[in-house]
Amino acid sequence: MNAVLPWLVLLPPLLAAITITLGALKRPVAAARLSIGAIALSLAASLILFARDASGVTSFTWLQVGGLAVEFGLRLDPVSLLMLLVVTGVGGAIHVYSWGYLEGDPGRPRYFAGLSLFSFAMLGIVLSSNLLQMFVFWELVGVSSYLLIGFWHARPAAAEASKKAFLTNRVGDFGFLLGLVLVWATTGTLDLGELETRLTVQPGALGTAATAIGLLIFCGAVGKSAQFPLHVWLPDAMEGPTPVSALIHAATMVAAGVYLLSRVFFLLDAPALTVIAWIGGLTALLAALMALQQDDLKRILAYSTLSQLGYMVLAVGVAGTNGTPVAAMYHLATHASFKALLFLGAGSVIHALHHQQDIWRMGGLARRMPVTFLTFLAATLALCGVPPLSGFYSKDVILVLAWEHHASLLFLLVVFVAGLTTAYMFRLLLVVFAGPARSQDPDHAHESPPVMTVPLLLLAVPTVLAGFWGIDAWLGRAYGVAPSPAGSWAEHLIAPFTHAPVPALAGLAAVILGGGVAWGLYRGALRDPLPVHLGRLSRWMRDRFYFDELYDRLIAGTQDAMAWVADAFDRWILAGAVVRGLHGAVELGGRALRLVQTGSLQTYALLLAAGVVLVLAWMLFR
Amino acid sequence: MANLSFIIFCPLVAAVLIALLPRTFNVLFRAVALLATGLSLLGAVRVFAGFDSAATGLQFEQHFRWVDALGIGYHVGVDGLNVGLVLMAALVAFAAVCVSREIRERQQFYYILVLAMAGGILGAFASFDLFLFYFFHELALVPTFILIGVWGRGAQRDYATFKLTLYLSLGALVALIGLIALYVQAGQTSFNLLHLTRHLALNPIAPGTQSWIFGLLLFGFGILVSLWPFHTWAPLGYAAAPTAAAMLHAGVLKKFGLYGLIRIALPLLPAGAQSWMNVLALLCLGNILYCGLVALRQRDLNHLLGNSSVAHMGFAFLGIASLSVLGVTGAVVVMVAHGLLAALSFALSGFLYHRLGTLEMDQMGGLLQRLPFVGGVMVMAMFAGCGLPGFANFPGEALVLFGAWESYRTITVLACWGALVIAAVYMLRAVRTIWHGPPLDRWKDLVDAPNLWVKLPYALLLAGLLVFGCFPRLLTDPMQPVVSQIVQRVQGETATP
Repeated sequence: MNAVLPWLVLLPPLLAAITITLGALKRPVAAARLSIGAIALSLAASLILFARDASGVTSFTWLQVGGLAVEFGLRLDPVSLLMLLVVTGVGGAIHVYSWGYLEGDPGRPRYFAGLSLFSFAMLGIVLSSNLLQMFVFWELVGVSSYLLIGFWHARPAAAEASKKAFLTNRVGDFGFLLGLVLVWATTGTLDLGELETRLTVQPGALGTAATAIGLLIFCGAVGKSAQFPLHVWLPDAMEGPTPVSALIHAATMVAAGVYLLSRVFFLLDAPALTVIAWIGGLTALLAALMALQQDDLKRILAYSTLSQLGYMVLAVGVAGTNGTPVAAMYHLATHASFKALLFLGAGSVIHALHHQQDIWRMGGLARRMPVTFLTFLAATLALCGVPPLSGFYSKDVILVLAWEHHASLLFLLVVFVAGLTTAYMFRLLLVVFAGPARSQDPDHAHESPPVMTVPLLLLAVPTVLAGFWGIDAWLGRAYGVAPSPAGSWAEHLIAPFTHAPVPALAGLAAVILGGGVAWGLYRGALRDPLPVHLGRLSRWMRDRFYFDELYDRLIAGTQDAMAWVADAFDRWILAGAVVRGLHGAVELGGRALRLVQTGSLQTYALLLAAGVVLVLAWMLFR
Repeated sequence: MANLSFIIFCPLVAAVLIALLPRTFNVLFRAVALLATGLSLLGAVRVFAGFDSAATGLQFEQHFRWVDALGIGYHVGVDGLNVGLVLMAALVAFAAVCVSREIRERQQFYYILVLAMAGGILGAFASFDLFLFYFFHELALVPTFILIGVWGRGAQRDYATFKLTLYLSLGALVALIGLIALYVQAGQTSFNLLHLTRHLALNPIAPGTQSWIFGLLLFGFGILVSLWPFHTWAPLGYAAAPTAAAMLHAGVLKKFGLYGLIRIALPLLPAGAQSWMNVLALLCLGNILYCGLVALRQRDLNHLLGNSSVAHMGFAFLGIASLSVLGVTGAVVVMVAHGLLAALSFALSGFLYHRLGTLEMDQMGGLLQRLPFVGGVMVMAMFAGCGLPGFANFPGEALVLFGAWESYRTITVLACWGALVIAAVYMLRAVRTIWHGPPLDRWKDLVDAPNLWVKLPYALLLAGLLVFGCFPRLLTDPMQPVVSQIVQRVQGETATP
């Protein structure tokens, strides 16, 4: 393997971020060129590596103390190569789009520096050969996400959202770091390759700690991939600029949790996988329900992302200890393209409507913005799982997995959520692009400039076609799965129906049913009819099942209360009663003794006499 | 220039020189101080670069006899343990003089004191003679009191000075009793640290005696480092101190206690160390969790930074308490990282105080718009404070947590919560209150750091954090031989009871 090329993937965005920060903070054009050039270079290097099907590790020792050796390595295999293409490909399109979206914003250089820092950190996660190294980049994507959500930091909502995102992630990272400590304490290594070899040779090497290790590392994924119960930060993160939502909070960073799980898949044992599957399933269901009653264009897509991430996490969980996480990674790859496309399409609409995000003030945009509409439609159909678009195939693999592993409850859940997905997406589509204009805003809307529509068209290609590219077979090689003999594209088209007809047909039926319900309810609707039909349930869905309120109470009741007690103790007891008390006692003692030192001879004589009398009395009457 | 005595005496000689200058030469005082600490920094960089991490034993060693009758000598040198600390101290000293631009009154006396503090600190870290070690520490400590008392600020200045002086004098006194006891027990022949180590390895002190001497050193040094519950002087003192004094004390002088524990108490009193470590591990939770929680409630930026600084000391204590190679190495990395970070934080808060006239966080808001440079650096410093990788604090805290897991599992879990969550909560809340949000009208005339020369001290300290954060082996590799030697001495004590 060429030892320079992987570095050429990783380092250009970092250099761009540093250069912009040090020298181009007042030059938006230069900053944009640097940032876009850097991601283009990374994309080119990734493509070369992909074409050569490179594999292996190139590394140097980052830290070596006592028994802890941490290699900083870049690891290439089919999984990381695919992920590199997703990050640099989708990322490249979004970098270009950002140029158009942020036209005229004075903070552009800072934006591009943040975007490049993010690309560097995300590529670092993908390439990591070592768990601690992965944690390092894990934190760095967290901070770049913080900086970009809070890009418009003068807006209180954005400032709060960025803080919430970082802190919620930190709770997950707490588990992740403990998991790493536990892995190291049990095995003495943090190197992914070495761990895998050891566990293959000696499957019980983790002993009783196995489940704990699996679940602790999963905590990291729960935070970053916004799974229940740490899902609350992702919808708020929509306060960031829309291209950021597309890149970080839809396509790549939030998928890092799934990527982490597929990287450490060999560490996960059966109980851990069961928990993972149920957390994923629960997230998928709750998020889809919440998505059905949101009115903010970007938030609907955010809940949809949550729900799809739930699918991926569930796919890891139901794979079982003898399986592979290929299904999850497959869905990750297709989801990255169509969800990024959905967000960029939403950005195009928001841009055209001068930052209007309420879908009930839109309508009839299909005629005014044809390119945006058509690409958005393709992405919606892919997300719903309509054949032959990419999402159909990747979702079918998950359905099959649940079906074949007899996880009947989870299978039903997945099918139900597929129906919900279609319902909320068609609601969005019908209200935004079809029907009458519901306010004055859409009247002046017109199609976005080419710098924004070309990335849409580019992303539409994988959205439509990725189902035929054999991504699952490519990934399977990384986990030692023999590729099935390749058939013609026509055979591939109908393969899901011949191979496992029940899940495929169940999925399709759910799509038709969900789409039909949405068509009936929202075609031409001027306001949401669902609250009338569902009553209180609708309000719970709209108010996100009150998780935010619950957590606020919880934090106020525990951490803030403890802080109050500690502060009061510090102020009044330690610094107050004890220190000032000692101080006071010494001072009082001093004052009392000073009374004795009158300087008058009579007093001294009197005291002396009194002392003598006392001593004599004590000696005589003892 | 790669000469330890040159590094130590540059500031001291400059202090004498300034004392001899006429009282009206205001410009010259600052120039001389800058030159002296700058030369000292260059020397420290040369020493750090010239340090051979493959070799064992002392390097750049200088040894002169002084008081033969008591076995006192002038003995300085560096090994892996203090080479990073000397560099950090020199860097902070230079930065502290740079930011002293705000001082307008009694400049002559001010620069004499700051330079005495700098020289004393550098001397203390380089000394391998117990007497010299303590002498240099006092040389640095006394100016601290005067600096806070005379140039301090805020309504609580007098009380803060009074409290800090009492606490630190008490700590120094208790530690002194411990050191004298050590000297007496070792046969009253030598203050030379190397002789003492060799002598006590062959003729160890009885375990019971070791235990009480170690207790004296632990609490004496502990008070100097603001070990819980002897920490309340620190936030109050730093809030009242002039910028340079807070930087030099919180950043560097405070580390003297930790350094003393690792350099003197652990290897000379291994059995004593064993008997006290559980107590220390529990007390460090007081620093990490309790002071972290207290920091959550602070409304004044300097009180927040002070409590945060106390909380960070907990990681160094936990590293020491783990008595493992990882933990002790981590503790030293935390010392260097926190030195740079505390100096940077107090330098920035000093800048803010100078411009705003207040450090009440509620009165700030949206300042990032007006002060992009200072704000950007402070946001980075706050991320360093919550252990973000890329800054030197991360490798330090990670090593401590990895090292402590073996001995103290519950404590490690709680410390991990303190490091990742509590620190992030108070830091990000502060960023939100001070820097983010809509800009307030009353601050619309604020001016950011105008030129490179003003930005230099902040940039240097930040660069230090980043360099050691990205390449921690610069610190950890030289440290390996001496740390494993110390840990083996202490661990050997359990093997042969």
